[in-house]
Amino acid sequence: MSAANFLQLLLSGLTMGALYALTAKGLFVAHLATTRMNFGQGDFLMIGAYISTALLLAKVPVVVVVLVVLVCLAILGWGLERVALRPLDRLKSKAGEYSWVLTTMGVALILQNTATLVWGKSAQYSPPLFSSSRQDVVRILGVGVFVEELIVIAVGFLVVGLFYLFLFKTTAGRAVRVIAFNPDAATLLGIDVKRTISLVFVVAALLAGISGVLAGPIVTVQPHMGLVFTVKALAVAALGGFANPLGVLAGAIIFGIAESFANYFNSSFGDLYPLLIVLGLLIIRPTGLFGEARADVR
Amino acid sequence: MRRSLLRLTAGLAAAFATTTAFAADVKVGVVMGLSGPPAIVDFGESYLQGMKLALKDYMAAGGKHKIEFITYDDEANPQKAVSLVQRLIQNDKVPIVVGTVSSGNVLAFAPILQKAGVPLVAGPSIATNITTQFIDQSPSYIFRCSMVEKFQIDSMLDWGVKTFKKIGLVHSTTGYGNFAAKEIVEGLKARNGNLVATEAVAPNVTDLTPQMLKMKEAGAELILNFHESFELVFRPMSKIGYKPVVAGNWGLSSLKVRDIVGEKEIEGTVMGQALDLSQEGAQKFVARMQSEYGKDFRWPVLAALGYDAAQVVFKALDTAKTLEPEDVRNALEAVDGIKAISATPAKPFGPKDHECLDKEHVFLGVWKNNTVVRLQQ
Repeated sequence: MSAANFLQLLLSGLTMGALYALTAKGLFVAHLATTRMNFGQGDFLMIGAYISTALLLAKVPVVVVVLVVLVCLAILGWGLERVALRPLDRLKSKAGEYSWVLTTMGVALILQNTATLVWGKSAQYSPPLFSSSRQDVVRILGVGVFVEELIVIAVGFLVVGLFYLFLFKTTAGRAVRVIAFNPDAATLLGIDVKRTISLVFVVAALLAGISGVLAGPIVTVQPHMGLVFTVKALAVAALGGFANPLGVLAGAIIFGIAESFANYFNSSFGDLYPLLIVLGLLIIRPTGLFGEARADVR
Repeated sequence: MRRSLLRLTAGLAAAFATTTAFAADVKVGVVMGLSGPPAIVDFGESYLQGMKLALKDYMAAGGKHKIEFITYDDEANPQKAVSLVQRLIQNDKVPIVVGTVSSGNVLAFAPILQKAGVPLVAGPSIATNITTQFIDQSPSYIFRCSMVEKFQIDSMLDWGVKTFKKIGLVHSTTGYGNFAAKEIVEGLKARNGNLVATEAVAPNVTDLTPQMLKMKEAGAELILNFHESFELVFRPMSKIGYKPVVAGNWGLSSLKVRDIVGEKEIEGTVMGQALDLSQEGAQKFVARMQSEYGKDFRWPVLAALGYDAAQVVFKALDTAKTLEPEDVRNALEAVDGIKAISATPAKPFGPKDHECLDKEHVFLGVWKNNTVVRLQQ
């Protein structure tokens, strides 16, 4: 393999890795605070991609597009927690321990069907966000990269950094971590646990929305695209470790690059090898690469 | 006496006219892929759009029967397709069935229709063996109005081997993709050619950069694209600085694919075709479809074959001795005088020919100036 091809594959892997990181961060933050996840995280991404595509095609300025997507996804995240998750707490033992899996999957199905009704069943392709055409290429060390891909990588890292600051440097972030440690203790400390949990799902949905806006111009947008992202984000979070935000980022980059190289060497099973790596790793290290070796990593 | 004869004649004429005007309602069973993977849906909806326009024209022209489509969505699922066909036979008691997109689904339910003695006009499925595996049975109930994979691949390979030194293949790992790959490898072998690179790709991949890098390394000048996500091979081309000619499945003629890939990027792409858009009739048809379906119309050749399939079915129903499936089958085989939109001939079928399109009707189309025209060789 030539050095140019090596770099090309590396950049492709980084692009997809950045998208997986954003999606997986949503799973991570929800799991951190509630030990629950949104199994429709990829479908939230899909909704973000569709709204963004529709607005961009209607020639709406990018800044407005991003704002609209974020507002819509925030409402969606809040609604998910209020409608599909919180009622399960009220049911207590009447609802099974894992009933949230079903309710979040149910919301995912509703979103897929809504997207089909609103935007049709066909595949779509979002116009570029920041470049004049889909073919705008910049050259790095002699290797071509789409402007949109560079933006995905840059925004992906930036948002992950901001997320890190949110979690460790803000009061709301600290509240999330206290709830993750012990919800009862958080209540005693005067933290509004219900509101913070709502916030967590809003943040998770916002991360999916950002992924959706970024993914639109580089992948094909269609109502069933979410499942692949959910599965890969789960694999990424498992690879990095559900307890470590930087681990999730590292897991996503490793997964994206592994996928890119695996497809180069054997495209028939290219998507399978990274998943096999994750499975193998979980056998050796069940908490993931950067997880803590304890039963409850919170 | 004369007055009585006149009354009798008038009465008989009135009775005949009444019989004609209120001929039995006929249900035509339609199984179509209308949900599931986007490529399946685009095929299914486009074919059905053509069928519906044909029905509208038939009714407007005072058709002999009041025809109704009983349409079921098989969701690209073979088990569902089989159960829907059984429902059409047993509950709806249709005398004829049309459908569906997925060749695997057609191959799953065709034996059931053959056994039940109910004719099938397959489409828009394209696997080569759909009609051939039944043609020696007497009689065969399996017909088709659609592209035939072998014919489009043969046309492509004849041209490809003559025009390019290095040919590569990108195909999906689905049943369809593997089947096409097998036909291509065999076809090239028969023409003393070979593939410089073959990339089998899973159906749900999002990025083909690694695979296209392999094609570039192998120096493929022509890439045969038999992946259901037709747009994927085009996307990495400009960033890796590689612009081979792409040729493939008739799906590459979809307006939806053009919109996704881009008008400039799809220019020069070659595909199997059965509708010559430089012909006035085809242009009028496209204009009608556009006014009928607006932006939902996206695939001229698919809609044209759907229209022609429905025309053939209606003609068979009009000319059949009775509306019993066996008589409809016989009438189908004898249908003549079709004014087709696609390359379907006036008499599409014969006792040993159950394909609307034969090898000589399939040609290569190419995207040129934002439309698909016949490739000049």
